[in-house]
Amino acid sequence: MRAFLAPLLGLLLLGGCSGMEPAPHCDMGRVSSQRDLVPGPAMIPGEPSPLKEMPLNSASIIDANIINKVHVRAITARRTATGTVEVVAQVVNCTDFPLNAEARTQFYDGALSPSEPASAWRRLALPARAVTGYHEFSIGAQTVEHYLIEMRETR
Amino acid sequence: MRRTHAAIAVIVAGLSLAACQQVDNTAGAPTVYIDPATSGPVKGVGIESQDIVGMTDQMMRDMLSQPRLTNAATPPSVIIDSEYFHNESSSRLNKNTITDRLRIGLNRAAAGRMQFVGRHYADMVAKERELKRQGTVDRGGLPAARAQKGGDYRLGGRITSLDSRDPRSGAMQRYSQIVFEMIDLETSEIVWSGIYEFAKSAQDDIIYR
Repeated sequence: MRAFLAPLLGLLLLGGCSGMEPAPHCDMGRVSSQRDLVPGPAMIPGEPSPLKEMPLNSASIIDANIINKVHVRAITARRTATGTVEVVAQVVNCTDFPLNAEARTQFYDGALSPSEPASAWRRLALPARAVTGYHEFSIGAQTVEHYLIEMRETR
Repeated sequence: MRRTHAAIAVIVAGLSLAACQQVDNTAGAPTVYIDPATSGPVKGVGIESQDIVGMTDQMMRDMLSQPRLTNAATPPSVIIDSEYFHNESSSRLNKNTITDRLRIGLNRAAAGRMQFVGRHYADMVAKERELKRQGTVDRGGLPAARAQKGGDYRLGGRITSLDSRDPRSGAMQRYSQIVFEMIDLETSEIVWSGIYEFAKSAQDDIIYR
Protein backbone atom coordinates (compact mmCIF):
# COMPACT_ATOMS: atom_id res chain seq x y z
CA MET A 1 0.00 0.00 0.00
CA ARG A 2 2.80 2.38 0.95
CA ALA A 3 4.57 1.57 -2.29
CA PHE A 4 1.55 2.92 -4.22
CA LEU A 5 1.02 5.95 -2.04
CA ALA A 6 4.48 7.44 -2.48
CA PRO A 7 4.40 7.71 -6.33
CA LEU A 8 0.80 8.94 -6.18
CA LEU A 9 1.77 11.68 -3.79
CA GLY A 10 4.74 12.57 -5.99
CA LEU A 11 2.50 12.85 -9.04
CA LEU A 12 0.07 15.07 -7.18
CA LEU A 13 2.94 17.33 -6.09
CA LEU A 14 4.27 17.53 -9.64
CA GLY A 15 0.81 18.45 -10.88
CA GLY A 16 0.74 21.32 -8.43
CA CYS A 17 4.10 22.60 -9.77
CA SER A 18 3.15 22.45 -13.45
CA GLY A 19 4.77 25.28 -15.43
CA MET A 20 2.70 28.15 -16.74
CA GLU A 21 2.74 28.64 -20.47
CA PRO A 22 2.70 32.24 -21.71
CA ALA A 23 -0.16 33.44 -23.92
CA PRO A 24 -1.31 32.99 -26.63
CA HIS A 25 -2.48 29.41 -26.20
CA CYS A 26 -3.19 28.02 -29.66
CA ASP A 27 -4.69 24.59 -30.28
CA MET A 28 -2.82 23.90 -33.51
CA GLY A 29 -4.79 20.72 -34.14
CA ARG A 30 -7.99 22.71 -34.31
CA VAL A 31 -6.30 25.51 -36.28
CA SER A 32 -5.23 23.07 -39.00
CA SER A 33 -8.66 21.42 -39.14
CA GLN A 34 -10.25 24.83 -39.68
CA ARG A 35 -7.71 25.61 -42.39
CA ASP A 36 -8.90 22.50 -44.20
CA LEU A 37 -12.50 23.62 -44.03
CA VAL A 38 -12.29 27.26 -45.03
CA PRO A 39 -10.39 28.81 -47.92
CA GLY A 40 -9.36 31.93 -46.01
CA PRO A 41 -8.10 32.76 -42.57
CA ALA A 42 -11.55 33.71 -41.26
CA MET A 43 -12.99 31.70 -38.40
CA ILE A 44 -16.00 29.49 -39.08
CA PRO A 45 -19.15 31.00 -37.58
CA GLY A 46 -20.39 28.99 -34.65
CA GLU A 47 -17.19 26.95 -34.29
CA PRO A 48 -15.23 27.33 -31.06
CA SER A 49 -12.02 29.32 -31.56
CA PRO A 50 -8.81 27.29 -31.58
CA LEU A 51 -7.22 30.15 -29.69
CA LYS A 52 -7.72 30.18 -25.97
CA GLU A 53 -9.03 33.73 -25.77
CA MET A 54 -6.97 36.26 -23.89
CA PRO A 55 -9.21 38.53 -21.84
CA LEU A 56 -9.12 42.18 -22.85
CA ASN A 57 -8.45 44.96 -20.33
CA SER A 58 -5.74 42.82 -18.80
CA ALA A 59 -2.01 42.19 -18.96
CA SER A 60 -0.60 39.16 -20.74
CA ILE A 61 2.92 38.04 -19.92
CA ILE A 62 4.08 36.59 -23.20
CA ASP A 63 7.56 35.50 -22.14
CA ALA A 64 8.21 32.18 -20.44
CA ASN A 65 11.37 33.63 -18.88
CA ILE A 66 9.47 35.96 -16.58
CA ILE A 67 6.00 34.46 -16.31
CA ASN A 68 6.85 32.96 -12.93
CA LYS A 69 8.87 35.94 -11.81
CA VAL A 70 6.54 38.92 -12.11
CA HIS A 71 2.96 39.60 -11.15
CA VAL A 72 0.70 42.35 -12.49
CA ARG A 73 -1.00 43.49 -9.32
CA ALA A 74 -3.52 45.97 -10.65
CA ILE A 75 -4.52 47.63 -13.89
CA THR A 76 -6.56 50.78 -14.20
CA ALA A 77 -7.65 52.88 -17.16
CA ARG A 78 -8.94 56.42 -17.36
CA ARG A 79 -9.87 58.99 -19.97
CA THR A 80 -7.55 61.97 -20.21
CA ALA A 81 -8.79 65.51 -20.72
CA THR A 82 -8.39 65.08 -24.49
CA GLY A 83 -10.40 61.85 -24.54
CA THR A 84 -7.45 59.51 -25.04
CA VAL A 85 -7.12 56.54 -22.69
CA GLU A 86 -4.32 56.09 -20.18
CA VAL A 87 -3.72 52.60 -18.82
CA VAL A 88 -1.66 52.11 -15.70
CA ALA A 89 -0.40 48.75 -14.46
CA GLN A 90 1.48 47.92 -11.29
CA VAL A 91 4.10 45.25 -11.85
CA VAL A 92 5.55 43.34 -8.91
CA ASN A 93 8.98 41.75 -9.21
CA CYS A 94 8.57 38.65 -7.03
CA THR A 95 12.27 37.71 -7.17
CA ASP A 96 15.27 38.78 -5.13
CA PHE A 97 16.97 40.09 -8.26
CA PRO A 98 16.45 43.19 -10.44
CA LEU A 99 14.76 42.43 -13.75
CA ASN A 100 14.49 44.27 -17.04
CA ALA A 101 11.16 43.91 -18.77
CA GLU A 102 9.29 45.79 -21.46
CA ALA A 103 5.62 46.24 -22.17
CA ARG A 104 3.38 47.55 -24.89
CA THR A 105 -0.34 48.16 -25.21
CA GLN A 106 -2.73 47.42 -28.02
CA PHE A 107 -5.93 49.46 -27.88
CA TYR A 108 -9.20 48.13 -29.34
CA ASP A 109 -12.44 49.73 -30.45
CA GLY A 110 -15.95 48.67 -29.48
CA ALA A 111 -15.98 46.01 -32.19
CA LEU A 112 -12.83 44.47 -30.63
CA SER A 113 -10.70 45.46 -33.61
CA PRO A 114 -7.34 47.17 -33.06
CA SER A 115 -8.12 50.89 -33.17
CA GLU A 116 -4.51 51.98 -33.74
CA PRO A 117 -1.01 50.52 -34.02
CA ALA A 118 0.30 48.90 -30.84
CA SER A 119 2.47 51.21 -28.77
CA ALA A 120 6.24 50.86 -28.88
CA TRP A 121 7.83 48.64 -26.25
CA ARG A 122 8.40 50.65 -23.10
CA ARG A 123 11.26 49.47 -20.89
CA LEU A 124 10.66 48.78 -17.22
CA ALA A 125 13.44 48.46 -14.70
CA LEU A 126 11.97 46.24 -11.99
CA PRO A 127 13.88 46.44 -8.71
CA ALA A 128 13.92 43.28 -6.60
CA ARG A 129 10.76 42.71 -4.54
CA ALA A 130 9.39 46.11 -5.58
CA VAL A 131 6.35 47.44 -7.39
CA THR A 132 6.92 49.39 -10.61
CA GLY A 133 4.35 51.35 -12.56
CA TYR A 134 3.78 51.03 -16.29
CA HIS A 135 1.58 53.49 -18.14
CA GLU A 136 0.66 54.09 -21.74
CA PHE A 137 -1.56 56.53 -23.62
CA SER A 138 -3.73 55.73 -26.59
CA ILE A 139 -3.51 57.76 -29.78
CA GLY A 140 -7.23 57.72 -30.54
CA ALA A 141 -9.84 59.37 -28.36
CA GLN A 142 -13.43 58.15 -28.53
CA THR A 143 -12.64 55.10 -30.67
CA VAL A 144 -10.79 53.33 -27.85
CA GLU A 145 -12.85 50.96 -25.70
CA HIS A 146 -10.51 48.15 -24.64
CA TYR A 147 -6.83 47.40 -24.27
CA LEU A 148 -4.42 44.51 -23.87
CA ILE A 149 -0.99 44.94 -22.28
CA GLU A 150 1.77 42.54 -23.36
CA MET A 151 4.91 42.11 -21.30
CA ARG A 152 8.21 40.35 -21.96
CA GLU A 153 11.78 40.34 -20.69
CA THR A 154 14.12 42.92 -22.27
CA ARG A 155 16.93 41.33 -24.24
CA MET B 1 69.01 11.86 -60.20
CA ARG B 2 67.78 12.20 -56.63
CA ARG B 3 67.58 15.98 -57.06
CA THR B 4 65.42 15.55 -60.17
CA HIS B 5 63.01 13.28 -58.25
CA ALA B 6 62.79 15.77 -55.42
CA ALA B 7 62.09 18.62 -57.83
CA ILE B 8 59.35 16.62 -59.55
CA ALA B 9 57.77 15.80 -56.18
CA VAL B 10 57.72 19.47 -55.20
CA ILE B 11 56.17 20.49 -58.53
CA VAL B 12 53.48 17.77 -58.27
CA ALA B 13 52.66 18.83 -54.71
CA GLY B 14 52.44 22.46 -55.81
CA LEU B 15 50.12 21.60 -58.67
CA SER B 16 47.93 19.55 -56.35
CA LEU B 17 47.68 22.47 -53.90
CA ALA B 18 46.83 24.88 -56.74
CA ALA B 19 44.06 22.53 -57.83
CA CYS B 20 42.61 22.74 -54.27
CA GLN B 21 42.29 26.55 -54.38
CA GLN B 22 38.87 26.88 -55.94
CA VAL B 23 36.22 29.55 -55.70
CA ASP B 24 34.01 29.06 -52.67
CA ASN B 25 30.87 29.19 -54.76
CA THR B 26 28.37 29.35 -51.92
CA ALA B 27 25.94 32.04 -50.85
CA GLY B 28 27.15 34.58 -48.29
CA ALA B 29 25.35 35.49 -45.12
CA PRO B 30 21.94 36.78 -46.18
CA THR B 31 20.71 40.23 -45.30
CA VAL B 32 18.34 39.89 -42.38
CA TYR B 33 15.49 42.29 -41.72
CA ILE B 34 15.02 42.97 -38.05
CA ASP B 35 12.31 44.74 -36.11
CA PRO B 36 13.50 48.35 -35.63
CA ALA B 37 11.54 48.48 -32.36
CA THR B 38 13.71 45.71 -30.85
CA SER B 39 17.46 45.63 -30.31
CA GLY B 40 19.29 43.78 -33.06
CA PRO B 41 22.44 41.64 -33.08
CA VAL B 42 24.72 44.72 -33.25
CA LYS B 43 24.25 46.72 -30.09
CA GLY B 44 26.29 49.25 -28.20
CA VAL B 45 25.78 51.91 -25.58
CA GLY B 46 24.50 54.67 -27.88
CA ILE B 47 21.07 55.65 -29.15
CA GLU B 48 19.73 52.90 -31.39
CA SER B 49 16.66 52.27 -33.52
CA GLN B 50 14.60 50.81 -30.68
CA ASP B 51 15.32 53.93 -28.63
CA ILE B 52 14.22 56.22 -31.46
CA VAL B 53 11.03 54.23 -32.05
CA GLY B 54 10.36 54.09 -28.30
CA MET B 55 11.01 57.77 -27.53
CA THR B 56 9.05 59.17 -30.49
CA ASP B 57 6.08 56.89 -29.82
CA GLN B 58 6.11 57.85 -26.14
CA MET B 59 6.33 61.60 -26.84
CA MET B 60 3.63 61.44 -29.51
CA ARG B 61 1.17 59.68 -27.20
CA ASP B 62 1.99 62.05 -24.35
CA MET B 63 1.43 65.15 -26.51
CA LEU B 64 -1.91 63.81 -27.74
CA SER B 65 -3.12 63.60 -24.14
CA GLN B 66 -2.35 67.29 -23.45
CA PRO B 67 -5.46 69.50 -23.78
CA ARG B 68 -3.45 72.61 -24.59
CA LEU B 69 -1.97 70.93 -27.65
CA THR B 70 -4.80 68.80 -28.94
CA ASN B 71 -8.05 70.10 -27.46
CA ALA B 72 -7.92 73.77 -28.41
CA ALA B 73 -10.91 75.40 -30.12
CA THR B 74 -8.57 76.37 -32.96
CA PRO B 75 -6.00 73.64 -33.65
CA PRO B 76 -2.54 75.11 -33.04
CA SER B 77 0.04 75.30 -35.83
CA VAL B 78 3.08 73.33 -34.78
CA ILE B 79 6.62 73.24 -36.16
CA ILE B 80 8.54 70.04 -35.49
CA ASP B 81 12.01 69.85 -36.99
CA SER B 82 15.60 69.55 -35.82
CA GLU B 83 16.49 73.26 -36.07
CA TYR B 84 16.33 73.77 -32.29
CA PHE B 85 16.88 70.15 -31.31
CA HIS B 86 20.54 69.89 -30.36
CA ASN B 87 22.78 66.87 -29.98
CA GLU B 88 25.32 67.57 -27.24
CA SER B 89 25.87 63.90 -26.45
CA SER B 90 28.72 61.61 -27.39
CA SER B 91 26.34 59.56 -29.54
CA ARG B 92 26.76 60.09 -33.25
CA LEU B 93 23.33 60.31 -34.84
CA ASN B 94 21.27 62.25 -37.32
CA LYS B 95 18.81 64.34 -35.27
CA ASN B 96 16.35 64.30 -38.17
CA THR B 97 15.73 60.62 -37.53
CA ILE B 98 14.08 61.59 -34.26
CA THR B 99 12.25 64.76 -35.30
CA ASP B 100 11.05 63.34 -38.63
CA ARG B 101 9.56 60.27 -36.99
CA LEU B 102 7.94 62.38 -34.30
CA ARG B 103 6.42 64.84 -36.79
CA ILE B 104 5.11 62.14 -39.10
CA GLY B 105 3.70 60.05 -36.27
CA LEU B 106 1.98 63.07 -34.75
CA ASN B 107 0.65 64.35 -38.06
CA ARG B 108 -0.92 60.99 -38.87
CA ALA B 109 -2.30 60.51 -35.38
CA ALA B 110 -3.51 64.05 -34.68
CA ALA B 111 -6.24 63.86 -37.35
CA GLY B 112 -6.74 67.62 -37.39
CA ARG B 113 -6.25 68.17 -33.67
CA MET B 114 -2.97 69.95 -34.53
CA GLN B 115 -1.77 71.53 -37.77
CA PHE B 116 1.80 71.07 -38.92
CA VAL B 117 3.96 73.69 -40.59
CA GLY B 118 6.79 72.46 -42.82
CA ARG B 119 9.23 75.22 -41.98
CA HIS B 120 12.07 73.12 -43.36
CA TYR B 121 10.30 73.44 -46.73
CA ALA B 122 9.86 77.24 -46.47
CA ASP B 123 12.40 77.90 -49.20
CA MET B 124 10.65 75.51 -51.59
CA VAL B 125 7.29 77.19 -50.93
CA ALA B 126 8.75 80.70 -51.30
CA LYS B 127 10.20 79.86 -54.72
CA GLU B 128 6.89 78.51 -56.00
CA ARG B 129 4.96 81.49 -54.65
CA GLU B 130 7.40 83.80 -56.39
CA LEU B 131 7.00 81.96 -59.71
CA LYS B 132 3.20 82.17 -59.38
CA ARG B 133 3.24 85.87 -58.63
CA GLN B 134 5.64 86.59 -61.48
CA GLY B 135 3.26 84.80 -63.82
CA THR B 136 5.90 82.29 -64.84
CA VAL B 137 3.51 79.55 -63.75
CA ASP B 138 -0.27 79.69 -63.22
CA ARG B 139 -1.85 80.10 -59.78
CA GLY B 140 -2.71 76.44 -59.28
CA GLY B 141 -6.08 75.15 -58.17
CA LEU B 142 -6.22 76.23 -54.54
CA PRO B 143 -6.90 79.82 -53.43
CA ALA B 144 -3.80 81.95 -52.86
CA ALA B 145 -2.65 82.59 -49.29
CA ARG B 146 -1.53 86.00 -48.13
CA ALA B 147 1.59 84.51 -46.58
CA GLN B 148 3.07 81.21 -45.47
CA LYS B 149 1.63 79.78 -42.29
CA GLY B 150 3.22 80.89 -39.03
CA GLY B 151 3.78 78.59 -36.09
CA ASP B 152 2.09 78.75 -32.68
CA TYR B 153 4.40 76.19 -31.10
CA ARG B 154 7.83 74.82 -32.06
CA LEU B 155 9.73 71.81 -30.83
CA GLY B 156 13.02 72.36 -29.03
CA GLY B 157 15.17 69.89 -27.19
CA ARG B 158 18.55 68.52 -26.34
CA ILE B 159 20.38 65.20 -26.28
CA THR B 160 23.04 64.90 -23.59
CA SER B 161 25.06 62.00 -22.26
CA LEU B 162 27.43 60.96 -19.50
CA ASP B 163 30.12 58.39 -20.33
CA SER B 164 32.18 56.29 -17.96
CA ARG B 165 34.70 53.53 -18.58
CA ASP B 166 36.38 51.03 -16.28
CA PRO B 167 40.09 51.10 -17.29
CA ARG B 168 40.71 47.62 -15.85
CA SER B 169 37.95 45.73 -17.61
CA GLY B 170 37.33 48.09 -20.54
CA ALA B 171 33.62 48.03 -19.77
CA MET B 172 31.80 51.14 -20.92
CA GLN B 173 28.64 52.78 -19.66
CA ARG B 174 26.61 55.63 -21.09
CA TYR B 175 23.66 57.51 -19.66
CA SER B 176 21.65 59.24 -22.38
CA GLN B 177 19.03 61.88 -21.75
CA ILE B 178 16.76 63.24 -24.47
CA VAL B 179 14.61 66.24 -23.64
CA PHE B 180 11.67 67.41 -25.76
CA GLU B 181 9.98 70.77 -25.19
CA MET B 182 7.21 72.61 -27.00
CA ILE B 183 7.67 76.37 -27.00
CA ASP B 184 5.01 79.05 -27.45
CA LEU B 185 6.37 81.16 -30.32
CA GLU B 186 4.81 84.39 -29.00
CA THR B 187 5.66 84.19 -25.32
CA SER B 188 8.49 81.58 -25.19
CA GLU B 189 6.47 79.71 -22.58
CA ILE B 190 7.27 75.99 -22.44
CA VAL B 191 3.82 74.49 -22.82
CA TRP B 192 4.83 70.82 -22.80
CA SER B 193 7.91 68.81 -21.81
CA GLY B 194 8.89 65.20 -22.19
CA ILE B 195 12.01 63.29 -21.20
CA TYR B 196 13.39 59.94 -22.32
CA GLU B 197 16.42 58.52 -20.55
CA PHE B 198 18.34 55.27 -20.37
CA ALA B 199 21.72 53.90 -19.36
CA LYS B 200 23.51 51.06 -21.14
CA SER B 201 26.73 49.23 -20.44
CA ALA B 202 28.83 47.00 -22.68
CA GLN B 203 32.28 45.51 -22.69
CA ASP B 204 33.29 47.34 -25.87
CA ASP B 205 31.38 50.02 -27.66
CA ILE B 206 30.49 49.57 -31.30
CA ILE B 207 31.05 52.11 -34.06
CA TYR B 208 28.03 54.21 -35.03
CA ARG B 209 28.12 55.81 -38.49
